[in-house]
This record gives sequence, C-alpha cells and structure tokens, in this order.
Amino acid sequence: MNTVSPDVPVIRLAGVSRTYFPDTPEEVRALRGIDLTLEAGEFVSVEGPSGCGKTTLLNLLGLLDAPTGGDLRWDGRSVGTLSDRERARLRLRAVGFIFQRFYLLPTLTARENVELPMRALGVPRAERTRQASDLLGEVGLSGRERAYPHQLSGGEEQRVAVARALANRPGLLLADEPTGELDSANTRAILDLLVRVRESRSATLLLVTHNPEVAARASRHLAMRDGQVVSDVGGSRP
Amino acid sequence: MRWRPAGRSLRHSRLQRVLAVAAIAAAVALPVILISVGGGVSAHELANLQNAGYQLVVSASGVHGIAQAHRLSLQIDALGGVTAASPILSVPIDAYSGRATPTPVLAEGVVPGAFGPTLSPAEGGLFPSPLPLGDPTDLVHYANGTYRGPATNSVLISTPYALADHIGIGTQIRLAPTANLSLAVAYNVTGLFGIPPTFLGPTGAFSILLPLSNLQEMTGYGAAPTAVVPDAADTIQVAVGGDISRSPSALAGVQSEIRALVPYYTVTSLTQEAEQLQSAAAVLTGFYLALSSVGLTVGLLFLALVLLRRVESDQRSIGIRRALGLPGWSIATGILWEGLVLALLGSLFGILVGYGVVEGLAMWATATVQEAAQLADFVPLTLLEIVGGVAGLSLLASAVASRSALRLEIGEALR
Ligand SMILES: Nc1ncnc2c1ncn2[C@@H]1O[C@H](COP(=O)(O)OP(=O)(O)O)[C@@H](O)[C@H]1O
Ligand SMILES: [Mg+2]
Repeated sequence: MNTVSPDVPVIRLAGVSRTYFPDTPEEVRALRGIDLTLEAGEFVSVEGPSGCGKTTLLNLLGLLDAPTGGDLRWDGRSVGTLSDRERARLRLRAVGFIFQRFYLLPTLTARENVELPMRALGVPRAERTRQASDLLGEVGLSGRERAYPHQLSGGEEQRVAVARALANRPGLLLADEPTGELDSANTRAILDLLVRVRESRSATLLLVTHNPEVAARASRHLAMRDGQVVSDVGGSRP
Repeated sequence: MRWRPAGRSLRHSRLQRVLAVAAIAAAVALPVILISVGGGVSAHELANLQNAGYQLVVSASGVHGIAQAHRLSLQIDALGGVTAASPILSVPIDAYSGRATPTPVLAEGVVPGAFGPTLSPAEGGLFPSPLPLGDPTDLVHYANGTYRGPATNSVLISTPYALADHIGIGTQIRLAPTANLSLAVAYNVTGLFGIPPTFLGPTGAFSILLPLSNLQEMTGYGAAPTAVVPDAADTIQVAVGGDISRSPSALAGVQSEIRALVPYYTVTSLTQEAEQLQSAAAVLTGFYLALSSVGLTVGLLFLALVLLRRVESDQRSIGIRRALGLPGWSIATGILWEGLVLALLGSLFGILVGYGVVEGLAMWATATVQEAAQLADFVPLTLLEIVGGVAGLSLLASAVASRSALRLEIGEALR
C-alpha cells in the first residue's frame, strides 16, 4: 500500500520499558524491553491476558505516558523524552484514542464532545461545528448531535468516541478494548466502523482486544505476556 | 472560554458551592458594613465641619476653660476680616416644667447676636432668626462682669424636649444648676429649635438655648453674691468674611492674630480639624480592612478547598481532557471560571447582606446606632474595589486547584 499519508508516522520502539513506582516495594514492571516497529497505515491487533501491559503499551505509543527505559521514535524523532506539554500538543494533532469505557465528557453534547479537540486547536466555531456534524454523520449518528452521553446507548457513545478520535485527522488510532462493554451486534458495528475509517484515512490502527473475531480483522497480530511481546504474526505486508 | 462546563458543574455538589458562596458573602459583608458606616459617619462629620458657619475655634483645656469670654469675643470681633465671634458655654442642668421631677437638659449659653452668624445655612434653618432671647449683645445683664443689669429670662428649647414634656411657646419652665434645686429660676419659653442630625445622644436632643450671662450666673462657681464669676465659656467660634475663609493663607493670618491675643488658648481652624478627622478616618478604614482580611482569608481558603474537591471529583473529566491533548490552560480556565463565578456570587451576596444589615440597623437598632447606620455611605468604587480584591484572590484559590488538576496522573485519573 503506497497511498500512505505523510502525516502517518512510522513508530519504532527499541528496548522500551515502563516501570511503575521504580525502586519501591510496590514496583511494577509493566513493560520489559519492547522492540517493535509499526509501519505507517498498519492495522495491528494486540492480545494478552489482563495485566500483561497492553494499556501501558498503548499509553506509550499514544504519548500519554513516557517510557522509563529504551527509545521511542516517531519517524525517527525521539518522542519518549518530550515534555508533558510537548507530548500533549503532539497527541492533540496526531493521536486518536478510543477507550473501552468511551470516556465522553458527561456535561457536553455529542457534538461538543467531538468539537473538543478541534476547539483546543483553535478551529473556528462554524468550521468545527460543520466538521463535527460531518463526523457524527460518518459514524451514523446524524440527528443525535445535541444528545448528551447519558441519553445515548453504549454503542452510540462509542460511535461518538470514534468521531471524536477522528476530529483532528490523526495518523495514529489507538483503541483499547473498544468493544469490551458492547454486545455482539454493536461490537461488529464498531469494528466495521473502525476498519472503514482507518481505510479511508490510511491511518495506523492499533486495537487491543480479547475477541478473536475482532482480532481476525487485523493484518498483524501481537500477543503479549508479562510486559513482553511474545508473538508477532502477519507483519510483512503485500 | 470554558465557562459552560464550569457553569454546569455548579449543579453538582451544590451544597459545597453554596457554602463557599456563603463563606465569601460573610467575609465580604464585614468590610462592606464597617467601611460604609465608618465612611458615612466620618463623611458626615467632615461635611458638618466644612459647612460650618465658622472657620476658627478658640478653645482651652479644662472645664469651661475660657475666661473673660465677653471681652475676648469683642476683641476678636474687632479684628480685621472677622464677621462674628460667638462664645459658647455648655452645661448640663435640670429643667422643671410642671412636674416634680426635673428633666436633665444640655444648656447652651450664647450671645444671641453672635451665635446666628456662626451657624451653617443648614443649622440656621433650625433656629428662629433673630434669636428671641432679648439683648442681642448680652452686655446689658452682664454689665461688665457684675451681672447686675436687668436679665431677660428667655429660653429657647429643642423640639424633642418640647414634645416630651408638652411645653409650648409662652410656657414657663424653671431652670436650676444640676443638683441645686434651691437656685431654680423661672424662664419664659420664647421659641423652639430643631436638633441637627448628629451624635448628641438622647441628652443632647434635650437641649435649651439661653443668654450666656444667664447661664454663667446660674452655674457660677459659688452661690454667694460676692463670688467672682469668671465669665467662662468652652469655646469661641469665629466666623470670617467669605474671601478670607476661602484663602488658607488669609485664614492663617487671622488665626495668628487671634493667637497673639490669647497665647494661652488653642486656636484651630476647621480645615486643620478636618484634616485630623480625615487621617483618623483613613486609619480606621485601614484597620477595618485589616480586620476584614482575616475573614476574607477564611472565605478564600474555603473556596480553595471546594475547588480542590471539584478537581478530585472531576478527575475523570480532567483526565479525559488531558488524554485528548487539550492544553493545560483550557483545563485551568474552567477551574478559574468556577472560582471567579463563586467569588463574584459571594461578593454580590456579601454586598447585599451588608446592605441589608445596615438597613436593618438603621431601622431597629438603638438610637445612636440607628443614626450611624442611617449615615452609611455605599461608595460604588469602594464596593468595586472589594469585589475586585476578592476576584483577584479567588484566582489564587483557583490557581492552587488548577495546579493539582495539571499534576494529575492521566493514567491514574482514567483507571
Ligand atoms: N498507573 C499505574 N500505576 C501503577 N501500576 C499500574 C498503572 N497502570 C498499570 N499498572 C500495572 O501495570 C501492569 C500492566 O497494566 P496494564 O497495562 O493496564 O495491563 P492490561 O492493559 O494489559 O490489562 C499491571 O500490573 C497494572 O497493575
Ligand atoms: Mg488494559
């Protein structure tokens, strides 16, 4: 595939580790020396038992957190050592997160939730309102712009979250068990949606899941145990 | 910018916010009351001074400390530029008006012809003009210190006293020096006068005006006819001509001329007294503010606590915003807005409460407090300054809360 947008980064991890509470009795070595390269536009599934470090890995990839060891590069640029503020800025433009528990802001309407990242980038009101409505249309929620999260079903909430993740056209989409709280019909719908929006944007998509059916849609499959990647299948792409 | 989340979050944990607003309101009400009443009273006193019909005061230490008041007044009156020199003696005495028990009244002995010109226009309206007290110079009865001339036993009484004791013009009352009933003398009430709104208290409201020489003789230091009456007065109020009164240097000239006449008495100008009053008022205001800052500190600590609680309970939302990469200021703005809204609401209620308390005092408190409360002056600029100060300090409280919001571990907040 050579229609990759230049905004989609190649991400390289070399010996990346993350230890919580280092040098204390509560020390947790959540990631232990991860070596991994994510090519631009890949669709990768991540599997592994609870507590093996999947969320920690996603947080590092999405610049929510910084590694305590090793080297993390975006397009050759080291991002593991950026300041909180610099990581936040990059995150706002380049990363779209989709969480298991949706994480919509309860006090904002669906459209305001989608507008939020654009607002922080200073997109003019009329423009961001239009884009937010378009995105909500794309995820199948036309007409629900003014609904508050508590007025939406779980599947609808996750659609809003997907629309919000797409707001600033990120090159990297990170979905952490996005269907974990949904029934099978909604699981399939959200998955179809993710596959579709990834393809239309040529973005990289990393998807954590326990569901084999969901994982099967990916082109590359990672499996993790105890903070390490124990299998990496399907990485070579046509 | 991010006012909406803040506005909406006002609905959450409402009690905490109500309490924070109440704490700030209480903290604001205190300076509002103190400063408005204190400022109003001193402004009133100042206005009294500045509108007085006289500009210079001769006074002496001790009780009735000016001797030879008649002669001195004539000498001062003769100075260039002086339009009137009015000696005044104030003595509390007993008045009998038909009843067996006396009414304590404050008697003011004046020279009728000199007293009128030293009244301010406002005060002048309270007295009949000319004063119906007989001899305008008070020199006939005084008779050069012998008090052997014919006395006009006329007296003017204040309307509160007249109303209380049912006395009208033409009635006779008997006046006696305090605790000396045997010396009571009959007087004809020839007129009434109003009491200017000031802090004389209930006794002051019951007052009478009579010729200086009569009061001197009545209260003379000794009942024996041989006793020498020192022709005493408490003060001599001196009015100068319009041009001189408007020129500080000309006034100072007259002042030093009087000083030369009476080097052993104090001669002050009302401008000097006004300045003293103003600096005293400034000291008081500073003291009030210092006192109030204690309350304000407590109120704002409370606000900081409430905002910190909000950050705690909004961890999830703050974590989401930060996970999306929203800049720190956009998160802090929400907290800042909330702090500001609470502080402004508190200030507004505080001003209303302060206003209400002062109005309540003006209606239901004891007479003296009522009078003070009625004079209260709510200066918009001062109120704005208080509100501005509270708003500024609320930013400090918000800053504390914002800091803790921005220090939140994102991973932790989203777990
Ligand atoms: N913020 C944190 N503080 C301390 N320990 C954490 C934190 N986040 C995760 N951990 C620990 O790190 C390990 C990996 O967690 P996580 O990445 O969430 O696993 P997974 O997503 O695969 O279930 C677990 O033992 C977890 O308890
Ligand atoms: Mg997880």
